[in-house]
Order: sequence, then structure tokens, then C-alpha cells
Amino acid sequence: MNAIEVKSLRKVYSSGIRQKEVVALQSLDLTVDPGVIYGLLGPNGAGKTTLIKILLGITHKTLGEANILGEDISNYQIRKKVGYLAENHKYPPFMKGEEILHFFAQLGGYDKPDLDQRINDLLKLVDMEKWRKTKLKNYSKGMLQRIGLAQALVNDPELVFLDEPTDGVDPLGRKEIRDIIKRMKDDGKTVFLNSHLLSEVELICDRVAVLNKGELITEGTVGELTSDNDEYKITLDSPLEEEFKQKATGSFAGLKCNRTKIIFSTKDSSELNSLIDLIRREEKQIMEITKQKRTLEDSFLEIITGKEGKNGDV
Amino acid sequence: MGMYNIYHVTKFTIKEAFARRIILVFAGVSTFSLVILALLLFSTDAMDLVGAFDMKTRVDGQLVDVKTELATGIKALFTIPLYGIGLFLSIFAVSGFIPSLLEKGNIDLFLSKPIARAELILGKFFGGTAVVFLNIFYIVVGIWVLLGLGLNVWSADFLLVSFTITFTFMVLYTLIILVGILTRSSILAMMLSYLFFFVLSPILESRGSFSQFLGETWNMVIEILYYIIPQTTELGRISLELATGTTPESLLPLLYNSIILILTISSSIIIFNKKDF
Repeated sequence: MNAIEVKSLRKVYSSGIRQKEVVALQSLDLTVDPGVIYGLLGPNGAGKTTLIKILLGITHKTLGEANILGEDISNYQIRKKVGYLAENHKYPPFMKGEEILHFFAQLGGYDKPDLDQRINDLLKLVDMEKWRKTKLKNYSKGMLQRIGLAQALVNDPELVFLDEPTDGVDPLGRKEIRDIIKRMKDDGKTVFLNSHLLSEVELICDRVAVLNKGELITEGTVGELTSDNDEYKITLDSPLEEEFKQKATGSFAGLKCNRTKIIFSTKDSSELNSLIDLIRREEKQIMEITKQKRTLEDSFLEIITGKEGKNGDV
Repeated sequence: MGMYNIYHVTKFTIKEAFARRIILVFAGVSTFSLVILALLLFSTDAMDLVGAFDMKTRVDGQLVDVKTELATGIKALFTIPLYGIGLFLSIFAVSGFIPSLLEKGNIDLFLSKPIARAELILGKFFGGTAVVFLNIFYIVVGIWVLLGLGLNVWSADFLLVSFTITFTFMVLYTLIILVGILTRSSILAMMLSYLFFFVLSPILESRGSFSQFLGETWNMVIEILYYIIPQTTELGRISLELATGTTPESLLPLLYNSIILILTISSSIIIFNKKDF
């Protein structure tokens, strides 16, 4: 049984008097295995939040099929096994921290007798024990995010959707949240993570999908997405002549030059050696050769813009 | 699961109502009114006056108890403002319930839970109704007890007023819910309710007095409007009749308004079910 299975999912929003149509998702196919941390990436307006909202019954699909934990999403009872931390969530400000957990646990169908103990454990987990009796209107953004995470976990879900979970949280808090997410995975839960912080996604996700304009552009492990080519930066002691630049770029694909630097992207180390041979033949002094680590952000930018990422801008 | 969810949302809504303070203002005004009535009824001078009324008099050729007449007058004196001001405050208190529920970031939380959308709306409806009923029941029972203790008039009919006023509120509240779902505007929902309650219903109720000045088409339009707009003025009249111990002239407005209530809440649920958030 897949944690999430989406087939030919399409969402078209109609707005205004003339019912102008906006396609948010175009025939999307996606499968998420159980027990993994799955990252969903994409620029603003790519359809990430729309996908999550459809899976949770907040927005209706236009066409296609969508299942979570083996059940069609139209069966709202399946959401007993689902937790959700929304982006820009707005909790009732008149409730206290522990009250909100009680309320959403009951609404989430959690009917085991250990609820009080579970709430205590969760408050401890998100480091909010001493604020449990404080009304939410007095919470900071980071505190709201922590209590939101506890809320998403309160009904002991099998599948957790986290939309920008570290938004507004300081670096230490972000690390704690990452640890909590990893612990969820260790407990056998599936985590579906939507985050703009690509470095975070890279740190914790097992698999990643990239959406753009409602389409799935690519999908795979972080390693698969970042290991297309190795990138080398070669620094020379003197400016490059135009003649050399033309010769080098003509001989090696994936090569860029500026005044004293060459950026070369290749999978083949013999190609790198050939380039070094060429530089040496031209009697240029190599000051430094560094292998650039290709990040998920580089891959993401390349996928989305069809160009090189920031490390390519020399 | 259904009733369980409705119960939790109802409880949540009651909590939300008290957080908004306006319900507390309503309760405060009610308490103040009861204190004034108690002072009037139980101060030494007033008790002497009541003692003087401990006799029978002849009204329209019939022998009536003066104390009963005094109690009836007091009940009417309280019922009219309770109906007007009480409903005004109640509408004000609940008009923001649906728009605040539908706020981005809030509605997502509710809908991501295993709860049917109809249960969410019904929970909001019962929660708002429960709060208003408690307030109205509090002042009505308070007046009833004070009049019973002070004048020894224990007419239980007066207690029914709390139900007719709450029923009027329920009809208007369904309208607030519908407008809230359609527009997400508490101001518009509130203004429309006030328009129906204070302007349209009284005008349509007295349509007989100006129908002779209108053409056939206009009279037909007004007649249709009369049956599709909540007949709150008629419900007010029934409340007053119950307060004064008179048999209501007609109970048909209860039937018409029940139909309007069911149709409006059903429409709200159908529209809410189709909405994307």
C-alpha cells in the first residue's frame, strides 16, 4: 500500500465573473512509498500547496484519482490517520496550548485513554511545556510553529503533511524540528514535506519531487538529483585571452570562463585532465583546482530555469 | 462520529463566543436589568405598593387580579427590548463566526480532520444557538422567578418566550451562515440580518396598509417576498402574546420560518461542500 498515490490529477480554478480558468495541476502522477520523508519542491505557484490541499480534502480535484493510505480521498475518515501542519496556519487565539491539542485530537478522532499523557509527551517534544497554559494570542511565530507541529502529531498519524514547518523558527529550533521529522520516520511514519528551504530538504528527505506550473518535472532521491555532473573551478594566475577562451569552449562542452577562472562541469575525469593539459600547453599557471559540491539548490534552479545554478555564474 | 464531531465544534463555538466578549456584554445587560427589577419589586416602598394592589378590579366588565395585570405589564415591558436589543447583540456576536472559520490557515486545520463539512457547519450553528439561548433563558427565567417571588404570579407561558426568541435568532443565524459562506464578510452578514430584522420584515408584515397604493405586479412581488424573507416581526408578536398570556393569533409564522431555516441551512451546507479553500 502506497502512502500517497496520485494518477492524472488535474486542478483548474475558475475565478472572477468571466470564470477565467487557471490550471494549478496538469495531469499529475505521483507515488509516495510508506515510511519515507518525501520532499516537494517548486517555485511559487507550482501547485505544491494545491496538491496537499486536494489530498486533505480542503480543495476539490477537477479530474483524476488520488489515494492516501490506500483509500480514496473522498473518504474523509481516512484523515484520522493523517496529520497536517499548514503554511500560515491560524490557530484560535483564545485557546491555550494544551487546549488546542486536546481539541484537535478529539476532532481528529483520537479516542485512546492516554490522550493526556500523549499531549504531555508532545509538549515536551516540541519544547512547549512551560507555555501549555498560555493563550495562543501571546505566542511568537516560532512558538506557534512548534505547537502546530505538536497538533499535526497529536492523533498519532501514519502520514504527516508539513507545509513549511520551519517557517519563522530560529536555527536552533530548525535543527530540533529536523530531528523530530527524522524521529517520525524512525517511528515508521511517512512525512510529506513542502519547504522552500532546499538545504533542509536536502538534509532530511529520502526522495524529492519538483513541480513547476502544475507539472511534475522530475522525481528521485536527493543523490540522483544532485549527481548529474561534477563541477570544477580552475583558478589561473593571469587573465585569459579571447583566443584561449574560444578554443577551450569549442573543445569542451559545459565549460565557462571569466577573467581568471574556468568552471568546468563533467562526469568524466579524463576530460578534466584533457582540459588541464590544454591549459598547461598554453603555458598558463594553475593556482587552484577545487571540486564544487553540487547542491539541491543548484539542481533545482537548473531544472526550473533550464540554466546553470548559482555556482555556474562565474 | 457525526454527532461526536458536531458536539466538539459546538463546544468550540461556545468558547469562541465567550472569547468575543459581546456575549458577556449581553449577560451583563441582562443581569443589570434583573437587578433593577429586583430592586423595584423588593424595595420596602414598592412592596407596600404591591400590597395596595392586592385586590381585584374590573376591566372591560371582567374581574381581574391587579397583581397579574402588573406582572403582565412588566413581562411585556421586558419582552419587547429583549427581542430587539437581545437579538441585535446576538447577531452582532455571531456574525463573525463563519468568516473567521473560513480564514485562510484556519479552515485548512478543520477540513484536514476527519470531519464532514456539514458537521462543521452544524456545529457552528448549534454552538451559536446554544450561547444565545443560554443568555435569553437566563434573563427570561430571572424575570419569571422575580415576578413569582415578588407578585406571586407563576405563569409558565412566559418561559416559552425564551424559545420563540431563540427560534427567531436561529432563523437569522442561518442567513448569517449563508452570507458568511458566500462572501466571507461578517459586516455584510450582520447588515443583511439587521435589514431583514429591523426593516424588511416589519414593512412586509404591514403590507396590507399600503397595498392599495401599489399595482398588481408590485403587490405580487411583495407577497412573494413576504413568504421568502424571515417573518421575524410575526415571531416577535408571538413572543409578546406568550409573554402577556394571550393565545397567539396564528402559529403559521413558526411553520414558515421553520421551512426558511431548513432551506437556508441546507443551502449553506451544499454551497460549503462545493467550495475550495
